[in-house]
Amino acid sequence: MKRAAGRATARAAKPRRAVRPKGDLARRLAALLRLTVEIGAAPDESAICRSVVAGLHEGLGYDFLGLFLVDPATGDRVLKASVGWPDAPENFRLPPGRGLSELPLQNGELHYTPRVARQPRYVPSPNRGSEVDVPIRVDGRTAGVLVVESGTVDAFDQDDFEILTAAANQAGLALARARLLADERRRADEHEALLATMADLSAELELSKLLQATLQRAVTLLGVTGGELAILDDATGELVVVASHRIGKDSTGTRLAPGEGAMGRVAQTREPLIIPKYAEWLGRSGQYADVTVHSVMVAPLLAGQRLVGAIAAVHADPARTFGAADLRLLNMFAPQAAVAIARARLLEAERRRADEQKALLETMADLSGELELSKLLQAMLQRATSLLGVTGGELAIYDEAARELVVVASLNIGIDSAGTRMALGEGAMGRVAQTHEPLIVPSYGAWEGRSAKYTGATDYAVMAAPLLIGSRLVGAMATVHSDPSRRFGADDLRRLNIFAPQAAVAIENARLYTAAQRQQRYFEDLVSNSPVAIVVLDRDHRIVSCNPAFETLFGYAQPEAVGRDLDELISTEATRAEAVGYTQHVLDRGPVHGMGRRRRKDETLVDVEILGVPVVVDGELVGLMGLYHDISELLKARRDAEAANTAKSQFLAHMSHELRTPLNAIIGYSEMVEEEVADVGHPELAPDLQKIRSAGRHLLALINDILDLSKIEAGKLELFVETFDVRDTIRDVSTTIRPLVEKNGNRLEIRCGEGLGAMHSDLIKVRQTLLNLLSNACKFTDHGTVTLTAAREANGDGAAWMVFSVADTGIGMTPEQMAKLFAAFSQADASTARRYGGTGLGLAITRRFCQMMGGDVQVASETGKGSTFTVRLPASLEAAAPTAS
Amino acid sequence: MPKILLVEDNEMNRDMLSRRLERKGFEVAMATDGRQGVEMAQAAPYDLILMDMSLPEVDGWEATRQIRAAPGTKSVPIIALTAHAMAGDREKAIQAGADDYDTKPIELERLLGKIQALLNRNGRG
Repeated sequence: MKRAAGRATARAAKPRRAVRPKGDLARRLAALLRLTVEIGAAPDESAICRSVVAGLHEGLGYDFLGLFLVDPATGDRVLKASVGWPDAPENFRLPPGRGLSELPLQNGELHYTPRVARQPRYVPSPNRGSEVDVPIRVDGRTAGVLVVESGTVDAFDQDDFEILTAAANQAGLALARARLLADERRRADEHEALLATMADLSAELELSKLLQATLQRAVTLLGVTGGELAILDDATGELVVVASHRIGKDSTGTRLAPGEGAMGRVAQTREPLIIPKYAEWLGRSGQYADVTVHSVMVAPLLAGQRLVGAIAAVHADPARTFGAADLRLLNMFAPQAAVAIARARLLEAERRRADEQKALLETMADLSGELELSKLLQAMLQRATSLLGVTGGELAIYDEAARELVVVASLNIGIDSAGTRMALGEGAMGRVAQTHEPLIVPSYGAWEGRSAKYTGATDYAVMAAPLLIGSRLVGAMATVHSDPSRRFGADDLRRLNIFAPQAAVAIENARLYTAAQRQQRYFEDLVSNSPVAIVVLDRDHRIVSCNPAFETLFGYAQPEAVGRDLDELISTEATRAEAVGYTQHVLDRGPVHGMGRRRRKDETLVDVEILGVPVVVDGELVGLMGLYHDISELLKARRDAEAANTAKSQFLAHMSHELRTPLNAIIGYSEMVEEEVADVGHPELAPDLQKIRSAGRHLLALINDILDLSKIEAGKLELFVETFDVRDTIRDVSTTIRPLVEKNGNRLEIRCGEGLGAMHSDLIKVRQTLLNLLSNACKFTDHGTVTLTAAREANGDGAAWMVFSVADTGIGMTPEQMAKLFAAFSQADASTARRYGGTGLGLAITRRFCQMMGGDVQVASETGKGSTFTVRLPASLEAAAPTAS
Repeated sequence: MPKILLVEDNEMNRDMLSRRLERKGFEVAMATDGRQGVEMAQAAPYDLILMDMSLPEVDGWEATRQIRAAPGTKSVPIIALTAHAMAGDREKAIQAGADDYDTKPIELERLLGKIQALLNRNGRG
């Protein structure tokens, strides 16, 4: 199968020994070493394969050779590199069962075939002489075959076997490392991804675990016995061993001064170091006297230009030494580890600061009046400058009303800038406030955008960032560095960007907190200055606080009252149940408003108006607030007024009675004389007597109405409840009213609904009510119709009502007239009274009668079209119903 | 000629009503307070008694009860005369034993109707 036919002639033409002089061992070893270095420098698997083939061809003179690797999935040998086989393409495949090159795969040993033509599995090719097949072992398994051919029979000897075996071994080691490296790269990628998400998963990642994993990976990658990892303590400049793996002791926690030991040395020189025999090395640290390692390789861990730590790898095996390839590998690994460590440290620091920030904000809520916004901002600025490692800085908040920045905290910038106001766009902070983008100014003095307000320290480097909540500007901050060698870079910006949102939120929180405090003080002042007694209770009815008015009203000082059950404190035996009921009502159902009598500390009683409202905070019922208004004076005034009114009513009743007695005589005698005048022969006197009688009757009606009204007001008019037939009553009323109906040429219509049945009420008052309304209707209607309607209705809860309405087609009323219709002594106006007569008391009495009977009277009217009065009364009035108005 | 006992303390009312009733053909005897009214009712038979309620000495309700309680006068018809709309007067009169009531000031036609009805009931109309 070997088909390197192109070179076959040339190869066959010259004797093998001529190009590869036997016995020139030194030269061959040098070539082999070069091959080793070449292989070690190869970055990946296919480069390693090409290096091996090229090195054997160019350095050692083999002209026909190829390198196969086994595809673990199929078992095929896949050609990775070849020389002298122009027709064999890369990735050419040989399946199992064919070719001599399969033999080493079967037993793991070099296989020499002096005469290939005699072998049955030999696939004929132009180089049909001899062939060496050398196994390539990777991690203990035969992973490939190095095939070397010659057109000459038995062209190879023991020297060839040794050289080829050495080359195959080197290839195997290199392949093993390459595979590890590939794994490592993959892991590094994963690591990158992990770090990117660390901000989210920060709580789960611990720096120590990361460091331990990093060290173990390095140990595996380098194929060494063990190692250790140290990180730089920025504060002391010492290296601290944070991970240790199989170096003969657990060195974790060991601190190395600058220059101390191998790691201390590389931290200083920033160059890797190989110590072939550690035991003999003069620079070894006393802290490692008991460590029995043979050789050591150390490298600094640098993140960019910054030292973050050091890593050491050790061989315990004296047979093994560190070489350039190991260094190269370590050099590839170290920066990744350094960056990972730096990021992890930074993240951990950020996390710690975030925790501190959170703690600070939480503390803020507890520090009530003492914490001012300015103090918070100053503290925040100090934290920022230490976090960013800068000289100083300043912080400004945005005054939305003035559209200006106001510097509220300043630290080490050469001047005290607090209070400075800057327009948007002015200076570094003004600029970032306008652009909403951070800004780095390498030298403030040379910057065209500098503000004239900053005259000192102009050689400072400045980095500024806006403080934003979403897209809303709340402020800006700037940090400065006075060290000319120090330049702000992407890393600083990144850290500022981590800090800025926290600062923005903190400012906003502090502002809200200050506003909330102001509001709280406002309400506290409101409560403490309120003339109304206010008490706040928890859900167990216990007093949480009370205001001075409460103390004054009830005589309890707040300290005595707090913690007590309110209702036990200020209610009496008689009012306890009512008071507890109010309190519970507020908690269970909502606001309550009532009046009651409560007890003071000195046992005196006070009449109070009570208002109870639930106190709900963030949707949770936390208690209730009670307001007590002293109404003793009010009640006394009301009682006095009622007494005066009663006295007035009694006086009116008495006077009416006294007036009526002589009036009865006037009416009676005039009637009597009227009856007699005809008999005694003076009929011409009759009209005069009629006038006396008529005027007397009008005066009597007036007096009777006044008497009724005053009795009602004095509470002396009682209900006499009896059962009567409604239809009979209507008939009786219509008969009585008929003369009045006809007087103005009106027509009376009676409309009785079905099933009127009986009423259980005060017949006299029902009658008088209907008569009053009908007589009014007749009085104000001329040649029209008066309609009396009666119906029985049932309302929602089944109670029956009688509804009477009296409608007329008379003069009607304006809304203004209707408004005062039911007031006593009020006809629509004075002229109406003169024209239509009447006492003006009828409707007032009617309404009071209706109310006494548990109902009411209403009116609808339109000027010029007529009026309709509607009376609604309960069909059945219990005798025990209230009697006083 | 039916005999009516008018118990009334007010002189003008007494004078006026008695004269008007006499003009209508009744024989009218008069008492000026409740005690005298009861004594007169028991001393001589009357066809009907008109009893004012607000009387000195013995008031009209009490006088009515006494007349009703005495065997000789228990069936004499009594019409109570009550002041206008005085709370409970009417009910108290009926409860005391009055057969009917009327309110002052007197409307003669209305009162005559009530008198006639009671006399007819007792077969003296």
